[in-house]
Amino acid sequence: MARSTRLLLIAPAIVYLAALTQAPFVLTLWYSFQKWILTSPELGVTFVGFENYAYTIFQDVTFRTAVLNLVLITAGIVVFSLVFGMAFALLLHRKFPGQGIARSLAIAPFFVMPTVNAVVWKNLLLNPVFGFVSYFTTHIGLPRVDILAQFPKLGIITMAVWQWTPFMMLILLAGLQSVPDDIREAAKVDGADAWEEFRGITLPLLGPFIELSVLLATIYVLQLFGEIFVATQGGPGSATTTLPYYVYQTISQGNDVGTSSAQGVCAVIIASVIATFLLRLLSRTFKVSKA
Amino acid sequence: MTFRLREIGLTALTYLAVVAIFFPILWTLLAGFKTEGTAVAQPPVLFFLPTFDNFREALTNAGYLGFFVNSVIISVGSTLVAFILGIPAAFALGLFPTEKTAGTLSWVLSTKMMPAVGVIIPLIIIFKQIGLFDTIAGMVVLYTAINLPLVIWMMRSFFAEIPKDLIEAARIDGADTLRVLLGVAIPFVTPGLAATGLLCLIFSWNEFFLVVNLAGPHASTLPVYIAGFMTSEGLFWAKMSAASTLAVIPVFIAGWAAQRSLVRGLTMGAVK
Repeated sequence: MARSTRLLLIAPAIVYLAALTQAPFVLTLWYSFQKWILTSPELGVTFVGFENYAYTIFQDVTFRTAVLNLVLITAGIVVFSLVFGMAFALLLHRKFPGQGIARSLAIAPFFVMPTVNAVVWKNLLLNPVFGFVSYFTTHIGLPRVDILAQFPKLGIITMAVWQWTPFMMLILLAGLQSVPDDIREAAKVDGADAWEEFRGITLPLLGPFIELSVLLATIYVLQLFGEIFVATQGGPGSATTTLPYYVYQTISQGNDVGTSSAQGVCAVIIASVIATFLLRLLSRTFKVSKA
Repeated sequence: MTFRLREIGLTALTYLAVVAIFFPILWTLLAGFKTEGTAVAQPPVLFFLPTFDNFREALTNAGYLGFFVNSVIISVGSTLVAFILGIPAAFALGLFPTEKTAGTLSWVLSTKMMPAVGVIIPLIIIFKQIGLFDTIAGMVVLYTAINLPLVIWMMRSFFAEIPKDLIEAARIDGADTLRVLLGVAIPFVTPGLAATGLLCLIFSWNEFFLVVNLAGPHASTLPVYIAGFMTSEGLFWAKMSAASTLAVIPVFIAGWAAQRSLVRGLTMGAVK
């Protein structure tokens, strides 16, 4: 293919992506060195060097909380989704009547938009008085709890795990399908029980799929926003304020362009450390074929 | 015998687990057919005389319909634009790779990994300056950028599966690049194209962060409408459930239709 034809085919997409992702990020960097309050145009825009970063990193307690919350909530979501996703994948990989429809139903939560997820869990399921979970727990003699008020992080993690379990399950199911069944059967014939077979055979062979699912889920879950926006608005206090939600607050309520940009840059740095790790793993485990 | 029992037990456990994970959706669907009183009843009501009032109200509510139409136009529009920009690129990258291809693809992937908070502030400021803030066109422009990496990566993996001979034969017959793309390559990857389109529709339909920051009353989509139940109508569970059900049904249909290619899309083509 001629160089010019190639360029004609590829360039529009590349230029478009650069204009909408790269260029705004460069601007975010630029803004992060400015003092600029949208609601106070009389103050103008002044260059302040690293002042916004100094404030964000060394003085702003909420920023530190937001980073910590982001790490805790993301880790909780990824770990629990992986465990449940693995359980679902192992159960649904077996042949049984109704397998197709069972898989379709189990995937469904992944399609639910974040805001529906949040209104449904917050009201129909987790409402302390009228919610289904509360009915269930009080019925078996447990005390009535308002999860989103008393254990807000757990509440957010619960609704997100419900959504991300199918994601993990899908990738792990694809992994299980790539493991020849006769290898697993052979282990059983050799007298291994189910757990030994899982630990010794299935888990190691699933390794690359587990890595991939964990890293992809981490990248996506780091951006979790809709659930927090609807279910807790970052609260109570700042108990569920994560970095994306805090940036949203700083720009939409504080109208502070400089500080929110510095926070945004920090968020990108945190995410790119993880993304670099992901890309390295991806290219190692699934070689990008040149063909 | 013990083996049979174990198998039956595992199947029963599977059914139970599937019912449990699907329950929140089922419960919402049911609540949509309840009256407001039945929806909050304790103990929860499982059998009741269904009413269609909540669905009828949602579908005749001008507000709801406006958001619904916005969702349709924005997700379909952004998917189409992403196709127009992304398919030629995927075609070149998938069928005629060079030593630079891996680098280009990594770069494309890195734009997908860019957290939205890293670009949102300039986008708000620029969109307000150039009149794209709270417009359908503005949202199409943004969602195209979200869909584009997916289109490039997924379609590249489908194009790469076309036998080289097929392409060579067409070229020897004198077909130019455009004719190879439209006449040979695209017909070969139609199922992949459909799956990619459905995934783009799903992701644009559900997107929330960008739309809540960059749109207001004119260009907001269904996720924003549903979020509004938190403040104004949080107490109307039946109405909220009916509106939620209607908002997710198109995604369920698209998702189940694309189920076979879902893993490929979610892993950007890494797992087939």
